[in-house]
Amino acid sequence: MATFLRSNNRIFGGRRQTSLWVNYAVAGFYALLILVPIYYVFISSFKSNQQIFAAPLRLPEVWDLVKYFEAQQRVNLLRAMGVSFYITIASEILTLLAGFLAAYAIARIPNRFARWVETFFSMGFLIPAFAILVPVFLLAARTQLLYKPIFLIGFYSAARLSLTVILLASTMREIPRELEESAVCDGANIFHVLRHIIFPLSRTGIATVMVLNFIEIWNEYLFALILLNQETRTLQLVIPLLRAERVSDYSIIAAGLVIAVIPVVLIFVLFQERIMQGLYSGGVKG
Amino acid sequence: MSVAAKTSTTRSARASRSRLALRRQVTFWLMIAPAVLLFSVIMIGPLINMFRVSTLDWRGIVKPSTFVGLKNYLRLFQDVHFYRALANTGIHLAVTTLVVLPVSFMLGFFLSQRPAGYRFLRTVFFIPGMLSAPALAMIFLGLYLPDGIINHYLRLIGLDNLVHVWLADRGTALGAVIAVDLWGGIGWYTVLFFASLSNVSKELYEAAQIDGASYWTLIWRIAFPISIDFFGVMVVLLFLWVLMGSAQNVLLLTGGGPGDSSLTLGFYLYRQAFANRFLGYSQTIGVFIFAVGILGTLLVRRITRPRFIS
Repeated sequence: MATFLRSNNRIFGGRRQTSLWVNYAVAGFYALLILVPIYYVFISSFKSNQQIFAAPLRLPEVWDLVKYFEAQQRVNLLRAMGVSFYITIASEILTLLAGFLAAYAIARIPNRFARWVETFFSMGFLIPAFAILVPVFLLAARTQLLYKPIFLIGFYSAARLSLTVILLASTMREIPRELEESAVCDGANIFHVLRHIIFPLSRTGIATVMVLNFIEIWNEYLFALILLNQETRTLQLVIPLLRAERVSDYSIIAAGLVIAVIPVVLIFVLFQERIMQGLYSGGVKG
Repeated sequence: MSVAAKTSTTRSARASRSRLALRRQVTFWLMIAPAVLLFSVIMIGPLINMFRVSTLDWRGIVKPSTFVGLKNYLRLFQDVHFYRALANTGIHLAVTTLVVLPVSFMLGFFLSQRPAGYRFLRTVFFIPGMLSAPALAMIFLGLYLPDGIINHYLRLIGLDNLVHVWLADRGTALGAVIAVDLWGGIGWYTVLFFASLSNVSKELYEAAQIDGASYWTLIWRIAFPISIDFFGVMVVLLFLWVLMGSAQNVLLLTGGGPGDSSLTLGFYLYRQAFANRFLGYSQTIGVFIFAVGILGTLLVRRITRPRFIS
């Protein structure tokens, strides 16, 4: 084992073996700190409260879905999930439409204001959304759109535009200009260029922003809390409600939690590498 | 005649070229219009409005508002809750930055050396970052409950005197909230440092090793100075995240209590706006938080600007 590691990592060769084991110990301990609570929540969703508190980490005796049905009955998880999907997908489409067009203009149409517009959007990295929580609430109230999903969709799109525009613009700059020019010489108009050249060739960038935006929008809590009401509440809003009704029944909370994280877990499993790269380049640019 | 024809063709060519240029300009503005409009109305507009609202006496959205100038700001500096929130936020910021960043940098460096199993560790470290605030809060609720997992194992190993009602104890409530950020933050920043350090060429470390550099030296004397710029960006991200993001964790876990023991600036803004309905005053707190955010960002960027020592 030790030889295998040494041959693989020259940095940990010789007397640095100790560093290697110290690092493994720290990393492994932290990994356990992450995995144990997640395992605990998952198995708790199949147990009764007494069973949870008697032996928190023991596997459940039966894997039944009673608690899931109970959670569904209490707060209508499925309906909330539907609302979450509606709001997330609508926001994604709006962000992508507006962001794609703006990114193309900035990256591809020669204009001396292009740099200014890009700086304008990158200001969004400096405005943490929380700073404008109350003014956004006031805006919703003034426009009579309070508690309507459409306003939240508009907000999510606006909040995600910075990353979307800047990441897409940098993707589009990589596309060779000759492709576009020869298409224009053949008589293609701008819609053809966008549809048949720019869109297919910036697919990687589009996929990255869509995955990042999905996670952010799906998980958002505070703005949804103040901008929606009972009829339109999202999945993130109903999870804490499971606690309010009966504090002690943790198994029902756990069941709701498991349901709430499924979509993000799927996205994570499928696109882990892309998420990481996107966050990294977003961090570098922001 | 041929000369005249030539001039007219150049003129018409120039005209068509300028028409083309004009059309390009129009296209440019038309294409950025939806995004600029959306962004201005929903992000920039409210940001400006925050400063205006902070000068109003406004007790709830359906009530009338009156201009009171800087009165809210004077109130801010005489408000004991505000000072308590400021101190708690200071502790929150200090603990998270001092724990998360060094630990994450070391773990990120470790993973960037591609030790056996690094892919698995990286995936695990990334998980908390994928969870929403309510999900994180509810996971921790299961740990903190009076009969929850923490107290269960403390009793099991005989440390009964360490058993607390974690979220309702003055001494532990703030720590319980901070722990949530530590739990997720370390993994998140480890993965980002990993991505950044993966770009550093291996030869650099090898050269230093031939000169007899220790592992510690490799991290803090070589990897760290190289990535100081990226490190600075990470400090800013963490700083703003804690400063602004604390509101939802506090709201979901402790509600600022017991007393004001876990009151943070972000949550105090929320409480003033939505529980006490002092809309104007809440935005005075908002302006303060915003100013701290900007000043902190500038300060960090100034310190971590790459320096080239010959």
